[in-house]
Amino acid sequence: MSFHYGQGYPVGSNPPPGAQYGGSSGPYGPTPSAPYAGAAHQPAGPYGAYGAQGQGGQYGHRPGAAPAGQYGGYGGQPHGGQPHGGQPHGGHYGHHAPAGNIPPGVSQEAYQWFHTVDTDHSGFINLKELKQALVNSNWSAFSDETCLMMINMFDKTRSGRMDVFGFSALWEFMQRWRALFQQYDRDRSGLISGTELHQALAQMGYNLSPQFSETLVRRFTVQGGRPGVQLDRFIQVCTQLQSMTQAFREKDTTMTGNIRLNYEEFLSGAVTRLM
Amino acid sequence: MAYHSPYRAAPQVNAPPDQSFLWNIFQRVDKDRSGVISDSELQQALSNGTWTPFNPVTVRSIISMFDRENKGGVNFNEFAGVWKYITDWQNIFRNYDRDNSGFIDKNELKQALTGFGEQQSYRLSEQFYCTLIEKFDRQRKGQVAFDDFIQCCIVLQRLTDVFRRYDTDQDGWIQVSYEQYLSMVFNIV
Repeated sequence: MSFHYGQGYPVGSNPPPGAQYGGSSGPYGPTPSAPYAGAAHQPAGPYGAYGAQGQGGQYGHRPGAAPAGQYGGYGGQPHGGQPHGGQPHGGHYGHHAPAGNIPPGVSQEAYQWFHTVDTDHSGFINLKELKQALVNSNWSAFSDETCLMMINMFDKTRSGRMDVFGFSALWEFMQRWRALFQQYDRDRSGLISGTELHQALAQMGYNLSPQFSETLVRRFTVQGGRPGVQLDRFIQVCTQLQSMTQAFREKDTTMTGNIRLNYEEFLSGAVTRLM
Repeated sequence: MAYHSPYRAAPQVNAPPDQSFLWNIFQRVDKDRSGVISDSELQQALSNGTWTPFNPVTVRSIISMFDRENKGGVNFNEFAGVWKYITDWQNIFRNYDRDNSGFIDKNELKQALTGFGEQQSYRLSEQFYCTLIEKFDRQRKGQVAFDDFIQCCIVLQRLTDVFRRYDTDQDGWIQVSYEQYLSMVFNIV
């Protein structure tokens, strides 16, 4: 017997990110009737594991793939996390951005945002600048943990900050996650509930219990806030889940769904993958 | 292989400071006079010995350790614990930062992690210490500053605690299912 994690296993090559299916959740059904039946067997599986979201740029650029309008003025916010007040919407930004010399592979939109977010004009985005630029549906700033995680993912220079290429990859990454968040936040509360998270994870192809989603929601609910996962933590949870599933797969060579590992293997797996 | 957690907590190094001393500090740190020290208030009050802001993730970790009512900060009673926790770590850090550089390198980190606690019969590989430095060194100096050192120890402590819970026969090996493994690393068991 082989064990189906769902996520990752059934997928040969990386399917398109879920964002592409934004709004077309219908076919998958909001509630898989048999979550344990193995998401891997369901047609939803292949769409699920939008595998390595982390490897920004892997999907190439799909300019115009995610115009703000498409996701429908969710709380009046454009996609991708938006700078605080005063930033013009709808493509009229770009006061610092000369239109001419956009680096190759960087979309004009990302390029313009880069210059808006880079408030000290250093040519790099640091943690502070990133944190100031990203907000959740209720306008709270992204958590430090999520921002650090994203910088670590896209900081190819290993300097604790992102250049324009790293930022551009992050931009694409954010667009996809925001679209997914909006798709799974069915009641438009700005929060992903335990039920919504379970549905989301099942559709992504993860074979996990409803209790697991509930526990994640409790763990990632903002202190003193309503129960539910905000965008920043949703991104963090999903990215880490993906990464830890990968770690588990690598150990589970016989596909039994159980692994044996020693103390150092456990520590280094978690430290390497989680941060 | 045993792994008697050296990370459990900072050892008792200092005698508890007296209340009026702490009250003075508390009032200075509690800038908005709310009676509760928030993340940002604590962050501003702490120094990592360099001119960079104290790691906000470390601040969050420390506050959440002592914030009993989940109010997003610490009151005066809880602050006594925070103060002791930080000064104990500071003493350890200074002890192992043998060249007083404000940073500890891989060898110093190894000594620090294996040197405290009474039983240190476990061994972690050189490679693992390299990984720790690489992951916790926010300033990208190949060494860790005080704030990142604390964060490193907190993370190791949490992971060690959760590992121990599963390693019921204490042989340093565990067998876990997919969901158990995820629960462990999300530290939500």
